[in-house]
Amino acid sequence: MLAATNKKRWSKLWKHRYLYLMVLPGLITVLVFSYFPMYGITIAFKDYNASKGIMGSPWVGFKYFTTFFHDPMAFRVLKNTLLLGLYTLLWSFPAPIILALLFNELRNKHFKKIVQTVSYFPHFISVVIVAGMLKDFTARDGLFNQIITYFGGTPIMFLLEPGYFRTIFISSGIWQGVGFGTIIYLAALSGIDPTYYDVAEVDGASRWKKIVHITWPSIKPTTIILLIFALGGILGSDFQKIILLYSPETYSVADVIGSYVYRQGILGARYEYTTAIGLFMSVISFVILYISNWVSRKVSETSLF
Amino acid sequence: MRKISFGSRVFDAFNIFIMLLILVVVLYPILNIIATSFSSGKYIASGSITIWPKGFTVQAYADVFKDSLIYKGYLNSILYAVGSTGIMLLFTSLLAYPLTIPGFAGKKFITIFLMITMFFSGGLIPTYLLMRSLHLLDTVWVMILPGAVGAYNVFLFRTFFSNVPAELKESAVMDGANDVVVLFRIVLPLSKALLATFALFGLVGSWNSWFEALIYLKDQDKYPLQMILRNYLFALDTNAIQGRVGAGNVAINSSGSTLDPKAIRMSVIIITMFPIMAIYPFFQKHFTKGVLVGAIKG
Repeated sequence: MLAATNKKRWSKLWKHRYLYLMVLPGLITVLVFSYFPMYGITIAFKDYNASKGIMGSPWVGFKYFTTFFHDPMAFRVLKNTLLLGLYTLLWSFPAPIILALLFNELRNKHFKKIVQTVSYFPHFISVVIVAGMLKDFTARDGLFNQIITYFGGTPIMFLLEPGYFRTIFISSGIWQGVGFGTIIYLAALSGIDPTYYDVAEVDGASRWKKIVHITWPSIKPTTIILLIFALGGILGSDFQKIILLYSPETYSVADVIGSYVYRQGILGARYEYTTAIGLFMSVISFVILYISNWVSRKVSETSLF
Repeated sequence: MRKISFGSRVFDAFNIFIMLLILVVVLYPILNIIATSFSSGKYIASGSITIWPKGFTVQAYADVFKDSLIYKGYLNSILYAVGSTGIMLLFTSLLAYPLTIPGFAGKKFITIFLMITMFFSGGLIPTYLLMRSLHLLDTVWVMILPGAVGAYNVFLFRTFFSNVPAELKESAVMDGANDVVVLFRIVLPLSKALLATFALFGLVGSWNSWFEALIYLKDQDKYPLQMILRNYLFALDTNAIQGRVGAGNVAINSSGSTLDPKAIRMSVIIITMFPIMAIYPFFQKHFTKGVLVGAIKG
């Protein structure tokens, strides 16, 4: 009996032998490039010695977490990360929703198509180019200062003034992402049955009423899911753009966890310390994601998991 | 005809105004960069360039193309983009197809194995240390292999493949085709729309990436175009660019012309952005579809 089932099992494995070969390259890639780094997180609790390897390096417990809480920079980078994340959420999250609603209200389909196509384009411009554009446009002889001096003002060195950093960061982010961000909402809007609008029309509903009672409810679930994701990512500011744009003059507002880890870890070779910071932030991000998901499930009955 | 209220008309006017504003805010900077790259120094210095070149010259481009790093960067970027996209499509297809086969043992394990990577990752430093210990730093492989298989992509491919009619696959198996042949002869040719969408996203994503190069590559001859561009725009690593033509401020002296360093910077931006601008008209049809596929699934 047992031999028979075993034989059956082996014949099935033999039948699927090509399938096992096919999944191999993908699985090995994931194992090496996703799972090995997860194991590498253990160096946050070790004194890493490259010659001994991760396994052979001695355990030191929470030493590097303690170091972080005593780091005079810790408060600054945490505050900057949180504030930049909050402001980004506040401005960048609603922008595509509003734009999608405005797109939806356009009567001329050709005009709508043109504006949409143009507004998506910045999404495909690289971070380096966007940062370079910002650098040139905010320079002393750049576009913004030309406008300021035209109206009789004095030029401002935008990228050297801490007070302007968040504005530049967030507004350029909206410039790049707002158009593309509408696509997912427009997909939800395209699913609305047009008879709803017709019926509302007959009932004499105003345009505003139709937006509030038909359009908005149809994109609300999408909005909530994306909001949960956005909250989970609130600590993960786009530090690639930051390390291109910031300078010691603006560190006081621009230096976030990501940029600090990059400077201390990659440039300063403090591997265990920065791995500990990274782990600490991942845990907090996961907790935020979990809480916002829980709140959303209670309040709106929409949730990720 | 239904009557349109006054308030509604005011809103329409306001809406069209916002749309025109968007067109200007998106297009002006791009047109300004193109215009500046083709303008001569004295007009750039006086700040009079808007969206049309003044004192038309291609000197900036001529100077930039004297820099061998630009050529190498272009070739490297093409290699990395084509390599990473090709491997991504191949590995993802190979991994996704078996997940659509009924009775394939290991489906559940593979799904969970992939799903875990959607929620947890090693982070920047452990990943960097892994690349270092695998001796992948300063190699081509570090630019094309690590991002090859994403869990999300595999699941999208699986969904797409499972819509291929089973009869087609079965008749091929009857004719003695094995699974590899079925995937490449039947399933993939029927998934051209999916492959095209992911190929375009893959190529654009790889073309625009620079951070991997920043941390994994030290050898300038292996730099992708975005890193060369970054050195032109930000001139951070002055030692690295010394002795080379270009690098913004150097060019104005070497050519002795009326060229403005800004024209050099803008021309490198246009050179870097050119492939994206060239494929965008074809691409934009695809990506709405691509995002929609993701939205339905997600």
